[in-house]
Amino acid sequence: MYCLCFLQKNYSMSKISHHESAIQHVTGQAVYVGDMFPSEKTLAGRVVYSPHAHARIMSYDFTEALKLQGVYDILDYKRIPGDNQLNLIAHDEPCLAEGTVNCIGQAMFLIAADTDEIAIEAEKLIKVNYEVLELILSIDQAIEKGNRLQPPRRIEIGAVDEVLKKCKHVLSGTLKTGAQEHWYLETQAAVCVPGEDRDMTVYASSQNPTETQLVVAEVLGLPANKVICEVKRMGGAFGGKESQANHVAAWAALLADATRKPVKISLFRDDDQKITGKRHPFQSTYTIGFNDEGIIEAYVVDMNTDVGMATDLSMAILERAMFHAENTYHIPNARITGHTWKTNLPSNTAFRGFGGPQGIAIIENAVDMIARYLKKDAAEIRYKNFYGTNTRIETPYGQIIQNNRLYTIWDQIIKSSNYYERSKEIDRFNGKSEFKKRGIALTPVKFGISFTTSFLNQAGALVLLYKDGTVLVNHGGTEMGQGLHTKIRQIAALELGVPVEVVKVNATNTSKVPNTSPTAASSGTDLNGMAVKNAIDKLKERLKPCVAKMLKEKFSDESDSDIVFCEGFAHNSSNPNQKIGFVDLVKRAHFEQISLHATGFYKTPDISFNKEKGKGTPFHYFAYGMAVAEVEVDILTGKSKVLRADIVHDVGDSINHDIDLGQVTGAFIQGMGWCTAETVKRGKDGSLLNHSPDTYKIPGIGDTPEIFNVELLQHAPNPPVIRKSKAVGEPPFMLAFSVWLAIKDAISSVGNHKYEPYYELPATNELVILSLESIKKHL
Amino acid sequence: MMNKSILKFVLDSQIVEIDFSKTDFRPSTTVLNYLRMLPEHRGTKEGCAEGDCGACTVVLGELGDDARIHYKAVDSCMLSLASIHGKQLITVENLAQREGNEIILHPVQKAMVDEHGSQCGFCTPGIVMSLFAFYKSGKEANRDNIVDALSGNLCRCTGYQPIINAAKVLSSLRQPDHFDANEQVIIKMLKEIKSDEEIHEFIHSKQTYYLPKNLKQALSIKDDKTDAYIVNGTTDTAIRQNKQHEYLPTIIDISAVPELKEIRSEVEGCYIGAGASIEEIKKFFSKFFPELKHMLGVFASHQIRNVATLGGNLCTASPIGDLIPLMFALKAKFEIVSENGGRWVDAEDFIVGYRKNCLFPDELLMGIYIPKIDKDEVIKTEKVSNRHDLDISTVSLAVRLSVDSDNIVREIILAYGGMAEVIKRARNVEEYLIGKEWTREVVESAKDLINKDFTPISDARASKEYRQVVAGNILLRLVVD
Repeated sequence: MYCLCFLQKNYSMSKISHHESAIQHVTGQAVYVGDMFPSEKTLAGRVVYSPHAHARIMSYDFTEALKLQGVYDILDYKRIPGDNQLNLIAHDEPCLAEGTVNCIGQAMFLIAADTDEIAIEAEKLIKVNYEVLELILSIDQAIEKGNRLQPPRRIEIGAVDEVLKKCKHVLSGTLKTGAQEHWYLETQAAVCVPGEDRDMTVYASSQNPTETQLVVAEVLGLPANKVICEVKRMGGAFGGKESQANHVAAWAALLADATRKPVKISLFRDDDQKITGKRHPFQSTYTIGFNDEGIIEAYVVDMNTDVGMATDLSMAILERAMFHAENTYHIPNARITGHTWKTNLPSNTAFRGFGGPQGIAIIENAVDMIARYLKKDAAEIRYKNFYGTNTRIETPYGQIIQNNRLYTIWDQIIKSSNYYERSKEIDRFNGKSEFKKRGIALTPVKFGISFTTSFLNQAGALVLLYKDGTVLVNHGGTEMGQGLHTKIRQIAALELGVPVEVVKVNATNTSKVPNTSPTAASSGTDLNGMAVKNAIDKLKERLKPCVAKMLKEKFSDESDSDIVFCEGFAHNSSNPNQKIGFVDLVKRAHFEQISLHATGFYKTPDISFNKEKGKGTPFHYFAYGMAVAEVEVDILTGKSKVLRADIVHDVGDSINHDIDLGQVTGAFIQGMGWCTAETVKRGKDGSLLNHSPDTYKIPGIGDTPEIFNVELLQHAPNPPVIRKSKAVGEPPFMLAFSVWLAIKDAISSVGNHKYEPYYELPATNELVILSLESIKKHL
Repeated sequence: MMNKSILKFVLDSQIVEIDFSKTDFRPSTTVLNYLRMLPEHRGTKEGCAEGDCGACTVVLGELGDDARIHYKAVDSCMLSLASIHGKQLITVENLAQREGNEIILHPVQKAMVDEHGSQCGFCTPGIVMSLFAFYKSGKEANRDNIVDALSGNLCRCTGYQPIINAAKVLSSLRQPDHFDANEQVIIKMLKEIKSDEEIHEFIHSKQTYYLPKNLKQALSIKDDKTDAYIVNGTTDTAIRQNKQHEYLPTIIDISAVPELKEIRSEVEGCYIGAGASIEEIKKFFSKFFPELKHMLGVFASHQIRNVATLGGNLCTASPIGDLIPLMFALKAKFEIVSENGGRWVDAEDFIVGYRKNCLFPDELLMGIYIPKIDKDEVIKTEKVSNRHDLDISTVSLAVRLSVDSDNIVREIILAYGGMAEVIKRARNVEEYLIGKEWTREVVESAKDLINKDFTPISDARASKEYRQVVAGNILLRLVVD
């Protein structure tokens, strides 16, 4: 599609900013794992999982199933050539159940067959006997049984107990926040192709190709250099494919290794929902002390989270929840304690925000309580408690807040949303309307950027220049729709001074860039963008002598000012009219025996955290945003709808305005789903009741705000980061608390804001009715 | 005699033939599963296999009475192969054109690219096809129409805003496209398929699928094969196949029977054929009976309404069927036919138990008759669901009410869905209200009688407590509105 002749002619920088795969997306040409059939004989893999939440496997028999025509093999844990383990660090998650099963959905056996239909038939013929064991299905039950995953974690600052005793006002409460199903449109999938001498190539839908590679190597008993993992793109991930994509890949690899044929596992939607972990539910108790002005003086919070049956990423998720316990508020005296509880449910896992939303929900609800208690506007209380710019800048974990943008954003959104006027208008509306009530809320977010497991903050790249002047970029990040490859392509083009059309970003491949961190923590562009820049800087240094030589030959230019790469040319910064075309330069460099490929590397500087002490500087910087939402609640049914939402969000200097805007709207609506409608319901046996979109309802197009104004904060460069940008993937998710608390405001209006409504997250129709009842009993 | 087992339809501007005696595909194999096996058509994605996400949306072109092709978005995961006989199947791969190595995007694709309507891209082919049908419909690009066109497509990445923007710019981009240019060629092909039409029996080693082309044929097959399963839009059967892995051995597909599709208004009421699609009925009602348009507007999604039929929704006799409470309130009469004649039953007698209707094995539901509603009678509906669009009701209510000049309740029908194992009237509440003044106080005092009428259950959608409270609350809305 690309003609290279324009390389010689018009080198003006392209304005293309759309997603690098947009044309493939809209024409149906984009290939996902499920679309791949490496050979005619690609077998269908099927996972047989436990129907019991806790049971001993007494016996099983594959005889009849193996007789079925079209069945190639059925595996149990004894057939695993390597270690029966999916978690390389905690070692607490077997690949296939051995002796006992600890949740419904835990993998027990694997079937390879000609088709999915045959595999399903075969599964029906497998006979298993179980002895059912006692269950733990909730945080309360786990607390009662003392079923901890790890000892509690703590972050503390100031003299909490003393100050609390002296506080004029003290409120306390409990908040439950619910689980959330990722509902990526593309279910978990992997295709594994066996090669010679037991080599294995894994085509995965994984955010973490290196870990997928290592887990496959571990279960197959192979060294890492015999396993390659490639990720072209994912059909959505949201954290759900950070650790748990490894599972599907490991299962497919075991079947491919056993049958010596390519095997594909692409989970059916219902199986995906039943097998995989969710966002961690939290149940937290808190006490908050404040003065007449509503200034918070002390805060004690105990977070309890349901980790499910195994560790997965739970400790890091809890940690991030604790790091966000105070959100945008300066709290001089705080004790934040986190508890992890094991249950007989699928292991909960990463989900956009990674604990941050769960931590922030508690303080946002508490601040809302303070406002109602003091009969003041909630936004005012928020504003008064914001971190300062020179003083009041220390977080409970000791990091100092720099470049606080809360005040700038506040000024902008208060005006653009017309917050105060509309608050009054809503009061007037509510005064006249009995069955429809409106509510409004302004909520802020401050989100720490960096993996809190500090060593993960590293990235690699491999940039190749070809003789025709085109560029192939390999880096460690994966594309899940967030536009990482698009931004990387832009970064490479800008750094190299060439049009984006000549830059292609390759599928992520562990044989090109090794030992990568997961594409997670919103850090994809920050880390990989810097690594790509580092590689390009090396290439430019190598090319510069060649440029100088060519300038001398062509223009007799011997000036020694800096050589720059710009708009498809290289020239002395002092003399932009005498320039060398990039294609000519690359050809010449090859002739001059200059290496035209380079690796790049980046590690985030100056971050660390001491887990024992609960102190450190875990984050490179913070991303900020604010939202104002107005909702209307039907008092008779509990149904709510968002009438208007205004957002101002900080992404630094945006690398791609439209992609960043899409991240903000997408995160907000996804957050709104978690805050309002998405519930994970389980039966008494631990089974998932809503295991398909028939009953699990993510937001649809009709749920979007009728008026939706989203602005990115302008003129807000973030110098230490690639192209002065900021990470954007997760922070705007938490802006949806504006919707959640606007619903609470509407409920509260029924009692003229005199009584604190019972509240949870999500605010489903059902919770709204319950909450209204809690108000009505006072009336 | 033609080979009866050969299915013919148009794909990629060619007539495609599938001989069921020589393939693994069953006649009831879904169009999605068929497409996924074609290397050139894997753009169509499976997201849920139950018509709830729209990733598999394709467009069917059908020859209308006006000698034009009509384009309908449908979920290919719920469409049996046999049911596309004689139609044009359009997939996401058919929209763009190639000139040499250059790709010329269709205006809907261009709008999606320009407005950043795709992120991960997995829902995109489905969105593009829904937008394509919207583009061809000529409807104005206002918010209501856009939501209506896309309520059957889920996207988890974008928050829909860029997609809404794409739909908005489309209206200014509307111009004849290559489907218009090629229309006569396709019409010729569709006519060619039609010309050799006769009663079709698609015979596969594991399944026989009948596709009668008139009522007489349909009844005669039904008389002969009383154990056969009747399908029309195939949405229900496809789910049984996709989710329960149940493959039915004998199917009679009545979607090609013209007598069942009739919709006509009569002096004293109107008649709607059981085979009329929900979308057609919605169009009819918007003129005839605007109040009911609302209930039909929140019925499933555009894709499902295009194929799902009145008969299908009524015959499943589901306790949460959207249309059954309405039939109670409308005092609809159901026309039932068989080889041996016909009979009429009242809506309330049609449902005989949990997912059970009163049809005998040789009978078919032909259609329903809705008697005219007097000026002083009010019909109202309310559907309570967890999500506004494309959701099954938690509780639904259809009401018929008439009060006399003194504001005394003369007649009231309160038909509730989601409150019992069948759609049921709240008889205790009704009896209490008749003869009383229609005031808020009276209705408030009647509310608690709901608990006498119903003992709802807790399930994946809601708790019984919620159902009880809400069932009473929505009564209140009636009197206040």
